[in-house]
Amino acid sequence: MATLDELRDDIDRVDEVLVRLLNERARVACEIGRIKKELGIEVYQPEREKQVLAHVRSIASEGPLGAEAIARLFERIIDEARRLERRLVHGDGED
Amino acid sequence: MVVVMEERASEAQIEQVVKRLVEMGMDVHRSTGVTRTVLGAVGQGHPDKGLIEMLDGVHEVLRISSPYKLASKTFKPDPTVIQVGDVRIGGDEVIVIAGPCSAESEPQVRAAAAAVRRAGAKIFRGGAFKPRSSPYSFQGLGEEGLRLLRDASNTENLRLVTEVMDLSQIELIDKYADIFQVGARNMQNFTLLRELGHARKPVLLKRGISATIEEWLLSAEYVLSGGNNDVILCERGIRTFETATRNTFDISAIPVVKKLSHLPVIADPSHGAGRRDMVAPMARAAVAAGADGLIIEVHCDPDHALSDGAQSMFPSQFDRLMAELRIIAPAIGRAICLEPVARRGWGT
Repeated sequence: MATLDELRDDIDRVDEVLVRLLNERARVACEIGRIKKELGIEVYQPEREKQVLAHVRSIASEGPLGAEAIARLFERIIDEARRLERRLVHGDGED
Repeated sequence: MVVVMEERASEAQIEQVVKRLVEMGMDVHRSTGVTRTVLGAVGQGHPDKGLIEMLDGVHEVLRISSPYKLASKTFKPDPTVIQVGDVRIGGDEVIVIAGPCSAESEPQVRAAAAAVRRAGAKIFRGGAFKPRSSPYSFQGLGEEGLRLLRDASNTENLRLVTEVMDLSQIELIDKYADIFQVGARNMQNFTLLRELGHARKPVLLKRGISATIEEWLLSAEYVLSGGNNDVILCERGIRTFETATRNTFDISAIPVVKKLSHLPVIADPSHGAGRRDMVAPMARAAVAAGADGLIIEVHCDPDHALSDGAQSMFPSQFDRLMAELRIIAPAIGRAICLEPVARRGWGT
């Protein structure tokens, strides 16, 4: 059986991958922000946010978290992506 | 701010609120609950609380940050200490301001100044322009009154606070007084407050008779935003349904203001109670509650005073009150003028 230390190492490895992937996602969101700015499209696209949540819910059925918890986590991820895009489009600084 | 949506708010209603908040320059954190959705809005934008409240599906809008900035403790965590000559208001020492309601004659002003000085007051009060409820009541001596108050203050080495009622009086009163007092009736006279923001003397701002603490602090904000950092807040009682006292003295306002603001807060138990026999208990309570000072009406012959006689203390009562405050203040870690200049006069 794996020891506590080994499992914590596993968590650290997974977190590293997660952070890399979240940043990869954020870079894509920034690219989308730039295109929205060019085309003069609103940052907040509720329809698209709904699609994203529905998509992750649909692939979340396996695993202990379940669709609801995955949706809650992705609400946070979407919040941050919207923040990045808003900064790009409206160009104001940090809080 | 935090926007709490109605239990049955539709997705479209929630989207509309998010859209408006984003337009107002806010970042939105959406939390979809089982029954309610909560939207947290943070950022440098200036969301209009009223506008959001009016949107469909909104249950409640809670503001996290206060509408006043300069007056808030967030802006300046350390208490403000206001220096008036050698007197410091808002420091360790509880400062007592005392004197007659209004200047009536030279002997009356001199006797009152001497009496309050002997009892331990540091600042003299007295009005030359009196805002009275009735136009037929005594209206004050005007500049002659200011001169009497200044002379008596100089003689007794007291600082002087007197009320300024409108813009036209600022220049005149500036020549005589050390502190401008803005009365309860003028607490929301914003043109007066703006002008006092450019004055180079402290402003003692009384709480309006039906003003909330937030409105009171917003009035202080007017003075502060003009560049005058020296505002002393003064609780003086508010209007309630109770008729036993002239006003209801809101002692809880003292710790509330202390929590919200860095500005010194003093109490006016004379107006707060409106009755001579209630002034001392309210004064003791105010000091115990953490007031940085008191402003009390003292008249050597209150029964013949031209204004506020019923709430003016006799010098002997004031002297006794000061002795009591010398016991209360140290109990909560505050100093107060310990040695009266001389103990003589008014019997026991």
